[in-house]
Amino acid sequence: MSRADKLVIALAVLLLPFLYLQFWGNHSRGEVVQIRVAGGEDMILPLDRDKTIKVAGALGTSVIEIRNRQVRFIDSPCHGKQCVLTGWLHEDGQLAACLPNGVTVQIVGRDNQFDAVNF
Amino acid sequence: MNPDISLLVSKIPPLKKGGTRGSAILSFSAPPFFKRGAGGIFAPVLLTTLILIFSLSGCEQHPRVFQQQVLALGTLVDISLYDVDGKKAAKAVTAITNQMEVIHHKWHAWEPSKLTLLNKRLARGESVNLDPEQQQLIQKGIDLAQRSGDLFDPAAGKMIALWGFHTDERPDDPPPPKEKITALVKAAPKMSQLKLDNGQLSSPNPAIEIDVGGYAKGYAVDQAIATLHKMGIDNAIVNAGGDLRAVGSKGGNPWRIGIRHPRRPGVLASLETHGDESVFTSGDYERYFMYHGKRYHHIIDPRSGRPARGATSVTVINKDATTADAAATAIFIAGPTQWRETARNMGIDQVMLVDDAGVVHMTRAMAKRVHFEIDPPPQTDIVP
Repeated sequence: MSRADKLVIALAVLLLPFLYLQFWGNHSRGEVVQIRVAGGEDMILPLDRDKTIKVAGALGTSVIEIRNRQVRFIDSPCHGKQCVLTGWLHEDGQLAACLPNGVTVQIVGRDNQFDAVNF
Repeated sequence: MNPDISLLVSKIPPLKKGGTRGSAILSFSAPPFFKRGAGGIFAPVLLTTLILIFSLSGCEQHPRVFQQQVLALGTLVDISLYDVDGKKAAKAVTAITNQMEVIHHKWHAWEPSKLTLLNKRLARGESVNLDPEQQQLIQKGIDLAQRSGDLFDPAAGKMIALWGFHTDERPDDPPPPKEKITALVKAAPKMSQLKLDNGQLSSPNPAIEIDVGGYAKGYAVDQAIATLHKMGIDNAIVNAGGDLRAVGSKGGNPWRIGIRHPRRPGVLASLETHGDESVFTSGDYERYFMYHGKRYHHIIDPRSGRPARGATSVTVINKDATTADAAATAIFIAGPTQWRETARNMGIDQVMLVDDAGVVHMTRAMAKRVHFEIDPPPQTDIVP
């Protein structure tokens, strides 16, 4: 067996876990947080890096927290605070929206992305 | 193990789920051992091939979808366009936003608008001359109300106002007194009582106050899609605060729509749209107040004068958004016992109703379309 043969075998073995994750992995766990603001640029943040973000919306500042692979609204300048009451999001596709301030927060996975959410 | 190979192993960064696709392979440079031995040329070729394969699989994840959120119609409107250049997309978004703002201000139910003026004059017993758009939308309201057996009742604006939903945010104050509710139910404001002749509208019932909130969003979405078609854009979604119409596809791939779970922040089910379809959901979580631990939402049953009980959300699929909007409201009010009949009368064959026990009632046509996204899937009741 030549060195090249061994290399091919080694690479094939190394690729297996990668392919496994790619095609059979657990896709229900979210990957990134997508923060969208009306009239503004989308923001994509990793879900595994804890962070508190301030976003300027139509009425004022929405405060969003990422912690322990979860994300939530901490505060928003709306009256009903529906966005804050939604609580922690932790799975793919979960969405919290502050409609008055024009800010939405969604966990977006690799394969489970929706083009639109009906609510 | 060959020491050279163990070197290779240690050079490869851990394949962490959540990293950029293919980056683990891309990010390590060829270790020095490739320069030695007989396999020296073969290994880089193999690596290049792998890199190409993984970068290709990365490409298909980024379809050419332009997405923009705007504030219009008093809510968040999300516009998705497929394969449209940036300039044209921006133009389309501006056109839709302006169009929706005109509709919003013209038909606003409580801020001074052409509609509030119309309601004042109707209440005084005057006959009012309508412009073509007013004629069209009010006539549509009369037709939809009739098809729904008056469960969808845009003439009952006073009931919505009595419950305090003619404000942007209703505080958690007590519900209105019983006597006032009973009096309004007795006064029975109905769309069928309106007289619309040659653009002249009059009302014999002073209790009538027109509120197009139950179908104006659908109308605005229909107008937006018509505007896109006029601009030559045939692959798009216009999602107005969670109610949408999707046309065309993403280069042959259907648009994927998630339907919100009425009691959790996530998605209950998903479906793919084909051709030209509107997906509308009415839910008791959209606008409500809590009083003594009880939820009072904004979908008022004209028969009782109170928030409709029994359903937590209703989703309908239909071509035009105006009808989908009105039907979702009417079927929600009809509730778990009468929903099928009401849907049939309104010409809707794809309906899903989630009742207050979490059971999902669906027509067979709807069951074929939806895929549940929760585990375990909910209990279902499928009817022809």
